[in-house]
Amino acid sequence: MARLLYEWDYSQYPGAKSYPHLFKPIQIGNLSVPNRIKYAATEDNFNTHDGFITDADVAYMRERAKGVVGGLCFMQGVYMDPGRQGQGYVGQAACWDDQFIPGLKRIADAIHAERAVAGFQLMDCGRVGAVEVDYCHGPSAVPQRLRIFKPVQEMSKADIQDVVQQHVAAARRGVAAGFDMMEISGIVGYLISNFISSYTNRRTDEYGGDIRGRMRMVVEIIQGVKQACGPDIPVGIRLCSEELLDDVRGNTPEESMQTYQIAEEAGADYISCTLGWQESIYPVISRDIPMGNWIHLAKRAKQHVKIPIQMAYRLFKPGLPNETIGAGELDIWEMCRSMIADPLMPKKVLEGRENEIRHCVACNLCLARLFRDAPMTCYINPVCAHESNPEFTDPPPAQDKKRIMIVGAGPAGLECAYMAARRGHEVHVYDQRSGIGGTLNEARNAPYGDDELWTCIEYQQAMCAKTGVQFHLGTAVTEQLLQDELPDTVVLATGPVYPQLTAKGGDHKKVVYLLDVMNGKTPVGGNVVVYGNRKPGIGCALHLAKQGKKVTLVGREKSAGFDVNPSFKWRYLIYMRQAGINAYNGCDIEEVTDEGVIVRSYDGYRWPVACDTVIVSEREANASLKQAALSEGIELFVIGDALVPRNLSSAVHDGYRIGMRI
Amino acid sequence: MPVDAEKEITRLWRALHGAQDEIGKTYYRWRQVALELAGPGAKPLEVGLRAAEVFGKEIGKGFLPRLNWLKGEDAFLMNLGRSLADIWGTEGGIAVAEKGAHPGEVLIRCTRDPWPSWAKEYGVPMEEVALCRERMFQAVLEDVSVFFRIPLKIELVKAIPRGQGETVLRLYKTA
Ligand SMILES: Cc1cc2nc3c(=O)[nH]c(=O)nc-3n(C[C@H](O)[C@H](O)[C@H](O)COP(=O)(O)OP(=O)(O)OC[C@H]3O[C@@H](n4cnc5c(N)ncnc54)[C@H](O)[C@@H]3O)c2cc1C
Ligand SMILES: Cc1cc2nc3c(=O)[nH]c(=O)nc-3n(C[C@H](O)[C@H](O)[C@H](O)COP(=O)(O)O)c2cc1C
Ligand code: SF4
Repeated sequence: MARLLYEWDYSQYPGAKSYPHLFKPIQIGNLSVPNRIKYAATEDNFNTHDGFITDADVAYMRERAKGVVGGLCFMQGVYMDPGRQGQGYVGQAACWDDQFIPGLKRIADAIHAERAVAGFQLMDCGRVGAVEVDYCHGPSAVPQRLRIFKPVQEMSKADIQDVVQQHVAAARRGVAAGFDMMEISGIVGYLISNFISSYTNRRTDEYGGDIRGRMRMVVEIIQGVKQACGPDIPVGIRLCSEELLDDVRGNTPEESMQTYQIAEEAGADYISCTLGWQESIYPVISRDIPMGNWIHLAKRAKQHVKIPIQMAYRLFKPGLPNETIGAGELDIWEMCRSMIADPLMPKKVLEGRENEIRHCVACNLCLARLFRDAPMTCYINPVCAHESNPEFTDPPPAQDKKRIMIVGAGPAGLECAYMAARRGHEVHVYDQRSGIGGTLNEARNAPYGDDELWTCIEYQQAMCAKTGVQFHLGTAVTEQLLQDELPDTVVLATGPVYPQLTAKGGDHKKVVYLLDVMNGKTPVGGNVVVYGNRKPGIGCALHLAKQGKKVTLVGREKSAGFDVNPSFKWRYLIYMRQAGINAYNGCDIEEVTDEGVIVRSYDGYRWPVACDTVIVSEREANASLKQAALSEGIELFVIGDALVPRNLSSAVHDGYRIGMRI
Repeated sequence: MPVDAEKEITRLWRALHGAQDEIGKTYYRWRQVALELAGPGAKPLEVGLRAAEVFGKEIGKGFLPRLNWLKGEDAFLMNLGRSLADIWGTEGGIAVAEKGAHPGEVLIRCTRDPWPSWAKEYGVPMEEVALCRERMFQAVLEDVSVFFRIPLKIELVKAIPRGQGETVLRLYKTA
């Protein structure tokens, strides 16, 4: 009889009716799990630089444990060697000695406190490890393709045996700390995958050669860990279903499927189906990849093995995993980023509160920060990384209840509105537009997944409705209105201004403005110059290039997409190159002429670019109404792009923080 | 003010050539420093060849993210040959990669090379110029060969600094 840790009855919840396959039990090894939901292991860089668990990490995990409503909740992968070659992140948890057990136990306890299944992960980062030492280790000394990673030292057979034993010992410590499930991470180019791949394993001894040889160390690890865990604790492994490394002669998909079969033979109780490597040239999880793009790989995996298959990768909405599980093509719905963005995401699905989910926008900032040795934060979730601070998670009610006027129903204004209302203030949101969403109404029209930005507005709309925010749409706030209403507090969330071009001829009739183009009000010609090389300009350029227009980007920043994080920026640069968009960075428009524009580089070179339309996307802070509010003695806050033109993330974070403070 | 194309291009052209000229001069200034620090017993050719190795290894690392195996071996070799030829282009020379007489062979042919003139200015022997280029390209191939699992060699066939009118290097797959 399979062991059940906690009883859960979902029958009364609406989500269990809408998504019945997500909320039915499954047996994994000898453990019965009440639902099909898993928070997948997530490195967060919150722990001390010598690997001890911090309060921040415990609080972070507890929130996610709440979210899985009885399902699987995995902590980040731990490194296991005292030499720290396996350590890939400065704040990664360690498990190479018993001294780490008490900290790890705090995480297991936090997960159990929410009646969820506590998962432990073993993760030697292999060729992307050694973040604190000079050399990382691997099966063969294959040079690094990306300079940020350390040189690789080839492991001897004795080193391999050490690594096997380190996994076994760490698994034992994980069990001692109270974890219920064990996972070996063979994801994205870490040590396990380095041994498996023909790209990085060039050994000629028994740990190399054909796929069985390349799997030998993995098999020894699975068997050793299984023995350490005993019959009650299921042991799973994350394995690449496709490496996406054909450009460097990596494994074929057939070989990958063989690895699944070998892992099953070795005794793995489940496989988590992953894909891609950090080094691969194909994007896998950025916003330009449609949701559900990879789910067919789970189906293929299921055709090769009998043990349960789990999978994540852009499964941000419950419908598809529910369907796929129902069709027998997947067993467990894994989530990483959707639960970074909203830790309670599956709980809200269960409770029929889907409109209250703050959806991940697949920007990959969380990942980018890890690679820069910074603690993880989330673009869209201002509470992420502050879970241990009750001021953030549950801001106290306001002492003085105020009547607040928020000018602007863009993401900054809406975020501030519901937070202030939640704390007991009377909140009125004004916008001159007839609908909410501000500039995201235009931004969502940019290609490659930018329509997903709108999910933020849907979430904020639901939260405003829930907290009783009052809307005055189609109403421009003027000085007069401000004087008439005389609120206690004004929050200016009015967005940026698009200043007129100061270049000679800046008032030429061919000069138009970004928002008018993006919402289709202003037609543009076939040959366009977009002025401004930050993300709004790039979005507009790509939008027009998709319509077959010839587009040139001119902007003052040294590189296009300066404001986009590096883990996503490379995608835009590739799309621009593919669309033939020429970018003149570090440049300004000196003059607008009948023929086009004259571009001037930062060092004074000048050249003409022919065009029939110039689109201004450069933005400035918005000072309107500021003076009026101050002169009336009204408490004033300026947030979002009105303060400094930035992006959706800053708008949301500003809004939340000011909403907490008023 | 309308753009005076001739003026703009001349200015740009001068700046480019000025910057290219500095490449060679800076290298030979550093060579002098290295020889001074190495002391009277140092052999200039050995120092030059060691520098070529360090440079080549470093350049090779930069090749890894750009090269790929997607179009097979012939396309890979031709791309590699072009990347090597482009090094001369950056320095102000003219070089192309072309198919060799045998399968799996690419020739890198340089018909204008600024290095002999720079070397002359600093009194560096011409043979050193020829051998350093060969060694640098050999060092570029070290990581590329390991990374892509293809045993590669490159050797100097002709050299402008040897008075042969053009420099030709033969890039090929061994075994
Ligand atoms: C094409 C494009 C692509 C973009 N792509 C991205 C992206 O990929 N990622 C990203 O993070 N960001 C992107 N952005 C930027 C993002 O949309 C903004 O940073 C964000 O919307 C700013 O939010 P906000 O609330 O501060 O201001 P806004 O969204 O501009 O909202 C301000 C609101 O205030 C209202 N308002 C102004 N004055 C008054 C007044 N006097 N009375 C009443 N109402 C008033 C306006 O009507 C508007 O609705 C993009 C923008 C564009 C245009
Ligand atoms: C910030 C971050 C940290 C991650 N850390 C780990 C980890 O420690 N171990 C692991 O196996 N996978 C890790 N992953 C991969 C995720 O578990 C997941 O497989 C991947 O993000 C795809 O799922 P998603 O689209 O739901 O985010 C990490 C991913 C992110 C974004
Ligand atoms: S940072 Fe971006 S990708 Fe990461 S969870 Fe937040 S919204 Fe998603």
